[in-house]
Amino acid sequence: MVNVQGPWSPILGRLSLGAIPDNPIIAGAFIFSVVLGIVVLGYLTYADRWGYLWREWLTTVDHKKIGVMYIIIGLVMLFRGFVDALMMRTQQVLADGPHSPGFLGAAHGYLVPYHFDQVYSAHGTIMILFAATPILVGLMNVVVPLQIGARDMAFPYLNALGLWLTAVGAALIMLSLFLGDFSHAGWVGLTPLTELAYSPGVGTDYWMWAIQISSVGTTLGAANLIATIVKMRAPGMTWGRLPIFTWTALSTNIIALTSFPVLGVALGLLGLDRYFGTHFFTAGFGGNLMLYSDLFWMWGHPEVYFVILPAFGMMSEIIPTFSEKPLFGYVTMVAASFAIAGVSWSVWLHHFFTMGASPRVNTFFSVATMVVGIPTGVKVFNWAFTVYRGRSRFETPMLWAVGALFMLLVGGLTGMMLAMPPVNYSVHNSVFVVAHFHTMLMVVVYGILGAVTYWFPKVFGFRLNESLGKRFFWFFTAGTIMVFIPMYTSGFMGMTRRLDYLANPALLPFEVAEELGIGLYLVSIYYFVRQLYVSLRDRNANRVSADAWGSARTLEWVAPSPVPFYNFAVTPRVHARDELVWRREQGLEGAVPAHFEDIPMPRNTAVPLVIGALALGLGFGLVWRMWWLTDLSFVAIILTVIARSFVRDTDYVVKAAEVERIEKRLRQGAAEAARNGASASGIDVLRPRESSP
Amino acid sequence: MLARQYDFVVRRVGRLARSIAFLPLLLLSGCSVHHLSRQFLLFRPAGPLSGADLRFTLLDVAVMLGIIVPTAAVTTFFLLRYRKTNTNAAYDPTWSHSNLIELVVWAIPLLTVAMLGYYAYRGTYAVDPFHPRLLKGTRAAPVAARPPLRVDVITTDWQWLFIYPKQRIATANELVIPRGTTVDFHMTSATVVNDFFIPNLAGMIDIMPGMRTDQVLVADKLGTYKGYSANFSGGGFSWMGFKTHVVSPRRFRSWAQSVQHAPLHMDYAQFNAFAKPTKNIHGKTYEFSDVKGRLFDQVIEGVLKGKVYTTQLPPPGSA
Repeated sequence: MVNVQGPWSPILGRLSLGAIPDNPIIAGAFIFSVVLGIVVLGYLTYADRWGYLWREWLTTVDHKKIGVMYIIIGLVMLFRGFVDALMMRTQQVLADGPHSPGFLGAAHGYLVPYHFDQVYSAHGTIMILFAATPILVGLMNVVVPLQIGARDMAFPYLNALGLWLTAVGAALIMLSLFLGDFSHAGWVGLTPLTELAYSPGVGTDYWMWAIQISSVGTTLGAANLIATIVKMRAPGMTWGRLPIFTWTALSTNIIALTSFPVLGVALGLLGLDRYFGTHFFTAGFGGNLMLYSDLFWMWGHPEVYFVILPAFGMMSEIIPTFSEKPLFGYVTMVAASFAIAGVSWSVWLHHFFTMGASPRVNTFFSVATMVVGIPTGVKVFNWAFTVYRGRSRFETPMLWAVGALFMLLVGGLTGMMLAMPPVNYSVHNSVFVVAHFHTMLMVVVYGILGAVTYWFPKVFGFRLNESLGKRFFWFFTAGTIMVFIPMYTSGFMGMTRRLDYLANPALLPFEVAEELGIGLYLVSIYYFVRQLYVSLRDRNANRVSADAWGSARTLEWVAPSPVPFYNFAVTPRVHARDELVWRREQGLEGAVPAHFEDIPMPRNTAVPLVIGALALGLGFGLVWRMWWLTDLSFVAIILTVIARSFVRDTDYVVKAAEVERIEKRLRQGAAEAARNGASASGIDVLRPRESSP
Repeated sequence: MLARQYDFVVRRVGRLARSIAFLPLLLLSGCSVHHLSRQFLLFRPAGPLSGADLRFTLLDVAVMLGIIVPTAAVTTFFLLRYRKTNTNAAYDPTWSHSNLIELVVWAIPLLTVAMLGYYAYRGTYAVDPFHPRLLKGTRAAPVAARPPLRVDVITTDWQWLFIYPKQRIATANELVIPRGTTVDFHMTSATVVNDFFIPNLAGMIDIMPGMRTDQVLVADKLGTYKGYSANFSGGGFSWMGFKTHVVSPRRFRSWAQSVQHAPLHMDYAQFNAFAKPTKNIHGKTYEFSDVKGRLFDQVIEGVLKGKVYTTQLPPPGSA
């Protein structure tokens, strides 16, 4: 064990009253969280929903509900990440030039450098790992089993465990707001800045353990999704008929399964440096700080494709549906996805072209990076030819998909610039790069928002409000343009990243424009929340039948909306790539099975939740160096896993008669919805299930 | 305590209001095209390296726009032409494959990448920070037969030290180089990773503790250029800048002679005092004479042996 700065006690570790930040902004955030917490807990108690919450959500192993919870965590963290962005933009617009004013003890602006640095580090970490990743994993969770005709994931229990480990990571980051601080070294955490000598606080430990714990969850989830896609496909669902989103889910999870362990190793070695005083990444004593950059980006770059490939998959589902035409070049699209996944392994060095590698090495990685542009370019052309001779309808999901396509064009242009070392040298650590990767991540965000709108009725049985959704889209797009075009521009003025204070007053007009853009984003969030509220209020008027959009194509739209907990009453037989289109042509749409059979389903279990709670104890203990808590939690996790392995009774059977009854009710609901736009069903139709201890 | 903070905020808001009064003025000045164009440092190269960076940027953008603009146009055209409400447009509900189109859509990006890949290779060697091919000619037959000038660069938390080993002088947070002379930078960091960046003169290159990186550059135009660290290195990072003065060789010689009489000196012990974490908010510069010749190597050796310049733990939620 190494000695750390500041006091330490055996019971509380490094924790003391001094760990509570003395800052009015954080105090405000704390009051906001407490009030929100009291409202939520009060509602649950008042409405007597605790039992429902426990049975239906906290202990569930249903892939759809787990997916929904992943997405909720992601959306909450997306909002937190947005607030961080708002704070950063406000700081930069205030702290511009030597005559800019200072507030709250800052020389310029209202955030002292150490606080500002934590804000941008939290923004990056949250947006990549706790917003984009969970929402994508959630969408894959919801959609993939439905698209391949499975009843659940291959390992439902493991699926729940992945969710709760991700939640623990998010919880640790939120905790760091009110107890101690967060890492100031950026989401990448380059060494030796993250070593104990230069980051003596608990912030880096929060960052490290939050990522480490949640990435275990993501790795388990990846193994689960691969197993599901390979082994759980319905009869007739050959590889050649696999929906394109499932293909991208497969390629992306192969990336996750192979790359997340590298991140685990990188952070693990950094942890050894910080806790045991080893010298893997220190500058002295034989450490190699460049090794960290390599290891981090060996995960980090594949991670970029881990988030973008599912977004490509979503676009490839949405565009054909709203063009009323099959996807152009299915085989090439699959090949392109796997080509991108494959090349993603050989481009990591372009994140540090400036680290002084020889021109031979830099040239190799430069060309490898450009090669990614080939399959990506093919995808864009194929989407364009999907629209060609179609009948495009611009409903909200289509708007998002088309928006993503145009973001990809801009991101592709700037990406090809950055791939070239002589260009890269001049903008490597500038806001030009920041604007570039935000444009690329906007492809993901647009894809996600399109996909959420697109598949929402499948899970909940009603559509989201169209006009508010469109308003959300246009304000969001205006915000994107307003923020990122000035950011690209200021990159050419030589403005670098992560500046708490801008020495050049000429940047002010651009900063003001970006601040206005953030305001547009704020308006768009208002419309998003309003869209959710109005849609929920008017849900009975917006009920849909199995095919929510009238022109959907793939297998998931054969199942009723909302999908019952067992997905398909009878395991479907697949006849074509676009199964629903095939059934429509054969006049089989809405056909009812002749007879029903017993369905074996996994039981609910509280074990993943318990392991999650213990992992939170483990993470918290490690951050504050409370060894008793760490040891206790660790031993308890192992014992829980062993105890669970003795539980044999993990499944139960839904009787055929019961299935028939539910299906009948769903059909009645759909018929009523079609007749007078009213029905009592919703996600609550997923009846309570027996729990196992 | 809250009351005190309240007063404080009120005072600062007053100051903000006063400074905002200047805002329209600043925006106006920002709107002046000439003034603004001078701010695009990357478009105003003052040496062959940054000039090459700009040329490759323009080439890359031109080639990519040649593809992206038509693609965007065609996609937009398709979306509008084949909208559902346009009943005149053809509708082919099953068409999803064409060998010819597939061939073309693979060929276009493939050829583009082949072309840009070639230029990437040329460019990487041309501006390689260690041995730029671009400056090879000037090295073999040096401009005006002047020998290259060596400058050792050491970054600390969060200042710059520029050592001129031959002249036995050093400057802090200010760099003076002669025009038309090859300047050979050897760089290392005493603490964490920084990036050496003078937008008008040379692209970024990492400066790492315990290691040496190089940058070779030639400045063609007299003037003062901004330089700064581009890689985040901690609390004082935003203020980690230095002015680069490109002067005539004659003025450089007389300047170097004057610094040789500077009262401050620099050896390893003095360096360790200088390297204490310092936020250079007021942009202070220093000049040192009698600089020990081995200082650069001593700093690297010190770091390799485990020397760190520890950051003190700040209280949570504050500086």
